[in-house]
Amino acid sequence: MTALTMPRLALSGELRAIGHRLLAVVALCTVLSLMSDAFLTTGNILNVLRQAALVFLLASGLTLVILTAGLDLSVGANVGLSACLAASVIQATGSAFLGAAAGLVSGCAIGLGNGLLVTALRLPPFIATYGTLWVIHGLTYWFMAGATIHGLPPAFRALGSGYWLSVPIPVYLMFVFLAIGIGFARYTTWGQEIYAIGANPVAARLSGVPVNRRLALVYTVSGAMAGLASLIFLARLNSAEGDIGEPLTLPAIAAVLIGGTSLFGGVGTVSGTLVGALILTLVLNGMNLLAIDANWQPLVTGAILIIAVALDVLTRGRDGANR
Amino acid sequence: MSPRLSIAAAAIVAATVSGAVHADGEKIAVFTKNQTNPFFQAVRLGADNAAKQMNATVLHYVPTKPDSIPEQMSQIEDVVVKKPDAIVFTPVDYKAMTPGVAKINNANIPVVNITDRSEKGNFVTFIGAKDYQLGLQTGRYLLKALGGKGNIVILEGVRGVITNADRMRGFHDALKEFPNAKLLASQPGNYQRLQALQVMENLMQSYSQIDGVMAANDAMAVGAIEALEGAKRTALVIGINGTKEAVDAIKAGKLLATGDYHAYNQGCLSVMAALRYLHKQPVPKEILLPVSVIDRSNYQPYDIAPDQRSCPKWDEVVKQ
Repeated sequence: MTALTMPRLALSGELRAIGHRLLAVVALCTVLSLMSDAFLTTGNILNVLRQAALVFLLASGLTLVILTAGLDLSVGANVGLSACLAASVIQATGSAFLGAAAGLVSGCAIGLGNGLLVTALRLPPFIATYGTLWVIHGLTYWFMAGATIHGLPPAFRALGSGYWLSVPIPVYLMFVFLAIGIGFARYTTWGQEIYAIGANPVAARLSGVPVNRRLALVYTVSGAMAGLASLIFLARLNSAEGDIGEPLTLPAIAAVLIGGTSLFGGVGTVSGTLVGALILTLVLNGMNLLAIDANWQPLVTGAILIIAVALDVLTRGRDGANR
Repeated sequence: MSPRLSIAAAAIVAATVSGAVHADGEKIAVFTKNQTNPFFQAVRLGADNAAKQMNATVLHYVPTKPDSIPEQMSQIEDVVVKKPDAIVFTPVDYKAMTPGVAKINNANIPVVNITDRSEKGNFVTFIGAKDYQLGLQTGRYLLKALGGKGNIVILEGVRGVITNADRMRGFHDALKEFPNAKLLASQPGNYQRLQALQVMENLMQSYSQIDGVMAANDAMAVGAIEALEGAKRTALVIGINGTKEAVDAIKAGKLLATGDYHAYNQGCLSVMAALRYLHKQPVPKEILLPVSVIDRSNYQPYDIAPDQRSCPKWDEVVKQ
């Protein structure tokens, strides 16, 4: 089990790594609270957390994939198809439960499909999931034929827009899955095997890690999280159309990478991904609160993301810069 | 689920059967921007309906990646080789597609331009609605409903897209007519539902009182309504495009109004114009459909699924 000692080391640095990432969040928050009275209010903090929840849920499963040095480009498309299927089932049966089940099953199935392409067919993850992305888009467009489904039952919508004890439901889901993610990655053998695969797949295989089964697992988890995110998405928007998932993929990948997970695998944390999701959400929130002109928003977004990561790299010193 | 599936299946069967069998009728290639926007779905259905009435066949060319410039360009290259009798063309980008238009012109295939006016090229006619007027009249409608005063926010479409630029000019000119109305913020929602919802949630944090929302399309308007409902706040909201979803929201009393972009009729008239040209009948150089605001008082004619509508008569719409 020599391969497992390395990930343990990586994990021990988890808090330290996140400490640095949090620096960017704190800096952003400080600047925003100085510039806008509306920023540091309970309402806005819950608002930011609720918006970050969607990105985080999608990105949390993706974190595991990227930890194995893989990639899942199909998460956004997965959200689109799963949301459309869930909405159709709810509309046809009137049952929020069946609809939610359809969305989750669809998400898992797509994820498992990716897993099989990567393991059984040994396709590079980028190509496998890029191919899946197109297949899912095609299926979604055909299935929806340009239509929009809207008007879902209130019980289902509560999943996205409801509150419990004045806190939005998606925020609870975010923290539940954060806890599950940290627990899985840190304290289970499977979680550590995932780090081991990302750090060195050959060494992992030689030390007895069932690499293919673990890879199939992470892609399925990523798909399942996309299925779950699709339900939150659907419940918040109260409608589904063919292209709704499209704009979600890159922000999800960005959240994982901003959160400190390496594209080369083996290094990173689920909690870092939460920080990444928060930074992305804070940028949009801040620009809206300050009513920054639309022409400048892309520039501001890019600049802040670069500064946020540079801040982390610089404060960690040279060793951190490589990963 | 089943009706949607059967519609899609029927459309595919109809497209393949009609494309292959009826060699006698004129063949018209119809280019639209994407598979996802209900607007273009309605355009295609209108084109199909007109073609059926006039015994022509329509072949649809739609980029699989929405609004993809290279994909539409290669579709043009394919179509120019196949030489249909006429082409109905919506450029995915009004500037970038001008080389594609030149290819069609060089092949001497008559082409009707619809929805987005191409910057260059020779066209039989242009059929569309004025985005500026849509912005102006829906904006004006909202401000009148608010008694000419109140706090307004604008949800913009995609910067750099001509429809958005014109709609924004319309909104702003409407605001100028009502000096007591105050524009709090104008923020981009990129024509996307989720972004509009989040932008609206954020704006509600900084502004405790928002009375009116001008959204550059219906999807963003409906997204803003979801945000308002989630925060248990109310504001009057207008959208643009006249989609079925917007009509349903008007019926439910959630959306104040939407501007009719005449998607279905644009599809109908474009095929009719192409066939009239081929039959050597007169076609005006430009057909701009009148802008109308759909609200609670007049939504009934729009409250019908696009695949069940039928085309208007040419002479009723085009007067001299």
